[in-house]
Amino acid sequence: MNMKRVIQYLTMAGLVFAGSLFAFAQKGGDVLIKGATVMTAARGTLENADVLVTNGKIAKVGKGISAPAGVRVIDAAGKYVSPGIIDAHSHSMLDAINEGSIAVSSMTNVGDVLDPRDITIYRALAGGVTTALLLHGSANPIGGQSTTVKFKWGHTVEEFPVAGAPPGIKFALGENVKRSNFTPQPGQTPRYPRTRMGTMEVIRDAFLRARDYKRSWDDFKARKTNVPPRRDLELEPLVEILEGKRLVHAHGYRSDEHYNLLLLADEFGFRIATLQHALEAYKIAPEIAKRGTGASIFADSWSYKLEAYDSIPYNGYILWKNGVVVSINSDSDERMRRLNLDAAKMQKYGGVPEEEALKMITLNPAKQLGIDKRTGSIEQGKDGDLVVWSGHPFSPYSRVEITMIEGDVYFDSAKDVTMRAELAKEREALEKLEMNRAPAAGGTPPRLPSERRSADRDEADRGNNR
Amino acid sequence: MKLKLLVSAFAAMSLFSAAAIGQSVAITNARIVTVSGPTIEKGTVVIRDGLIQAVGADVRPPADAQVIDGNGLSVYPGFIDSLSTAGLPTRTPQPGGGGPGGGGGQQAAQQAAAQAQQSNSNYRAGIRPEVSVVDDLRAGDSQFDSIRNAGFTAAVTVGRTGIFNGRSAVINLAGDSVSGMLLKEPYAQHISFATIPGGYPGSLLGTFSALRQMFYDAQQLQEWRKGYAANPKGMRRPPEDKSLEALIPILNREMPVVFNANTEKEIVRALDLAKAFNLKAIIAGGQESWKLTERLKSQNIPVLLSLNFPKRTASASPDADPENLSTLRFRAEVPKTAARLAQAGVKFAFQSGGLTAANDFFTNAAKAVEGGLTKDVAVRAMTLSAAEILDLNDRLGSIEAGKIANLAVVKNDVFASDRFVPYVFVDGKLFEQKEQPRQGGGRGPAAQRGGGNTSSAPATPNVANVAGTYNLSIDAPGQTLTGTLVLRQQGDTISGTMTTQLGVVQIAGGKATAGGFSFSATAEVGGTTMDITFRATVSNNNLNGTIDTPQGPVPVTGTKVP
Repeated sequence: MNMKRVIQYLTMAGLVFAGSLFAFAQKGGDVLIKGATVMTAARGTLENADVLVTNGKIAKVGKGISAPAGVRVIDAAGKYVSPGIIDAHSHSMLDAINEGSIAVSSMTNVGDVLDPRDITIYRALAGGVTTALLLHGSANPIGGQSTTVKFKWGHTVEEFPVAGAPPGIKFALGENVKRSNFTPQPGQTPRYPRTRMGTMEVIRDAFLRARDYKRSWDDFKARKTNVPPRRDLELEPLVEILEGKRLVHAHGYRSDEHYNLLLLADEFGFRIATLQHALEAYKIAPEIAKRGTGASIFADSWSYKLEAYDSIPYNGYILWKNGVVVSINSDSDERMRRLNLDAAKMQKYGGVPEEEALKMITLNPAKQLGIDKRTGSIEQGKDGDLVVWSGHPFSPYSRVEITMIEGDVYFDSAKDVTMRAELAKEREALEKLEMNRAPAAGGTPPRLPSERRSADRDEADRGNNR
Repeated sequence: MKLKLLVSAFAAMSLFSAAAIGQSVAITNARIVTVSGPTIEKGTVVIRDGLIQAVGADVRPPADAQVIDGNGLSVYPGFIDSLSTAGLPTRTPQPGGGGPGGGGGQQAAQQAAAQAQQSNSNYRAGIRPEVSVVDDLRAGDSQFDSIRNAGFTAAVTVGRTGIFNGRSAVINLAGDSVSGMLLKEPYAQHISFATIPGGYPGSLLGTFSALRQMFYDAQQLQEWRKGYAANPKGMRRPPEDKSLEALIPILNREMPVVFNANTEKEIVRALDLAKAFNLKAIIAGGQESWKLTERLKSQNIPVLLSLNFPKRTASASPDADPENLSTLRFRAEVPKTAARLAQAGVKFAFQSGGLTAANDFFTNAAKAVEGGLTKDVAVRAMTLSAAEILDLNDRLGSIEAGKIANLAVVKNDVFASDRFVPYVFVDGKLFEQKEQPRQGGGRGPAAQRGGGNTSSAPATPNVANVAGTYNLSIDAPGQTLTGTLVLRQQGDTISGTMTTQLGVVQIAGGKATAGGFSFSATAEVGGTTMDITFRATVSNNNLNGTIDTPQGPVPVTGTKVP
């Protein structure tokens, strides 16, 4: 959405939008942050340092940088600056998460069902998150295609996907896939596979079919056949995996299963980009590291379900010590807002050094998603995806003050506070309108209070299989 | 001079209606809103043989004409509902027909359900684009009484189940045969971003991938056929696939595709899909289309704008969370959509959007006028603009000599609550209704129920008391679901909940009828939603009816808990 459209949109609506600050956001902003403790997540922490962003890119990091004419200066004396947080496992913005009707749903793409007005985006920004990998759910051995987005709240949906980010896909293993916690509706046939061995069979079968499919196209292109093969949206992404063009993000909890998948990938000659959740991956840390596979884990949630029984607080530390690229993810609209504290736990359990712990929510997920050339750390030439914190981001007392993406401010806690009064006024006016008044009698039951609605997260126990 | 004009008009007419010259009707002394030209403050419209024979300030009625004194009345082109389910069976068991046992109705519903499943298509019910509304339409005038008495004379009609709703038709709202009612068939393919629980595609994700795969398959089929037709020897023969074949006209832009899309994100998804496959798209619903006027304008995509405006249905409760600000804003903005589309130059026409009372169409059109739309453009949106989008403006949508004699003769302002439509012409056939004395309750005098051609139904419908709790048995394919239905009733409005193994469904905007009730609701099944319509009769504490689902109709029976 260009500037004119944004303004037109806001004017026509007569609305004050949450985060309408980005109405001034353009293709890359200019800003100078002065005098902060800058945690670069790549080249150490710089005291009393400045970060200059021009045209959305980090132009300079250092001391005594002066602002070019007209560039906004943020005085960050006594404050901390970190790279924007990257969540390598999220289902925010998605109007549908699982295509659970079939075991291989690789033809689906979460990019088809994005909701750019999902309020969780704004809340994630308030927690310093700028980028996320939006994944299909875990109901299928081979799930749908994923998309990597920056949370450009207020913009139209086509501006969310990160340009140049490699495409991805969700795989899943274990109890969600074999529908252990899924109650079939009366008369419904349980879906194959029902066991862990069946799961591996489904994946192997799919890749054998993908190989055949690729061959049929190769034959047609070599003019060995005269009818073009049917374009198969299920197998196309699997061919991309075989060709190394699509990243596999594999949900799983048990290390035996994850290791089986690594062996299957060896067999077909591709790399698994990340093991997701992987709460007992410490058991196979060298095997993961050897293959250049990443691990995207929860900081805690030990034993939160049977599959997670063998998980330990030191999982992240052991993986890191073995040279695995580790990220901490949320898998939750709610926990996404405080990934900084999850990173802090890595320091507590085992003593991952501060910068390495910070990398687990910034540079490491960027590497896992193949976008580390443009984001994930505070380095010259990278996107100006930055968070200004009131204090050290690993402190529970610290708050996000400003979150920016490519130099444009998308969350500003000071403006958020002033906006609340305006929104309250707007709400009051809107609630008086005829269409928003409760019917005098005979209405439907009102919405449950939020604390009585189910939370999200890996909801295998609720059959949602996120 | 006047006579000469009339004679020449007569001569022109006789060229194409030479077979039989029936009696003509003339509406005299009326205000004539031609829509295509200036309004004639006092003039005459002559109707003969189903066509408008003459119109003008100086036109005199022919000698044989039945003359209607139009003094104080306005003649409009018959109103067009640009998306409806008019003429489709409601599948409600007839009260009295099956008796308290209601076996007849249930059987009929089961047959209909079986029929929906019976097909040699390779695709599940709900993703069969070859389905055509014309196979389900019924003939007969009386089924249209309530909408025709409000001034409607033509409508786009199509079912609303499945992802592919199927091929629609444009029909006149009267006729002794289906073929005689049809104005255009097929008109368009209709797509809803729905899900079909119980198989693939069972989620919105699958909806898009399934559509894409079918479009690619249809493209391939077309190419394959061309190659095979040119030289069949040495080539495998292409399959005869009627579902894929039905997509070829839309891929070739020979038939428009109407996407049911109300919210901004749904409209964006429809536009993206249309762009990817070069479809001739039309947006139906379009409640948030005002946010996308630039794109709609530049891609020249019209909107069939729903006049079913959202309003809060939830009762007040101090315990409940407040409604989302986005919801409050959404509802407040929808009535202004029409004015914004008009201002931006996006072509649009009004549709009923599932409104149950035809009068609400005009009440809400009046709200659109309050929202900044001019009355002229509002009238156009239910007449000529609709005809233009349907590509029928050479025969429909305005009062011009030679066009189809679809007319609505209106007393008082068409946007005022005291509007009344004493005369309606469909294909030149006159339908007359007598004005009833107004009664309390705020409903206009034209609130009719089914009845004779010239309805004399009482203004306040006689409705059954259906409130109470019912134990339900739902005969879904391959399984029987049990549940509880709690109905509250206020006049003819019902609300409540339906609870089954699949979860709780909130009822909104239900209507009680003389012998039973109906409501529409959105049910959540396995993380996806589907729209259902529940219709039933209640007699001797026995409930009997049908739930229309995207997978087809499902019979339901129940007993009232004493």
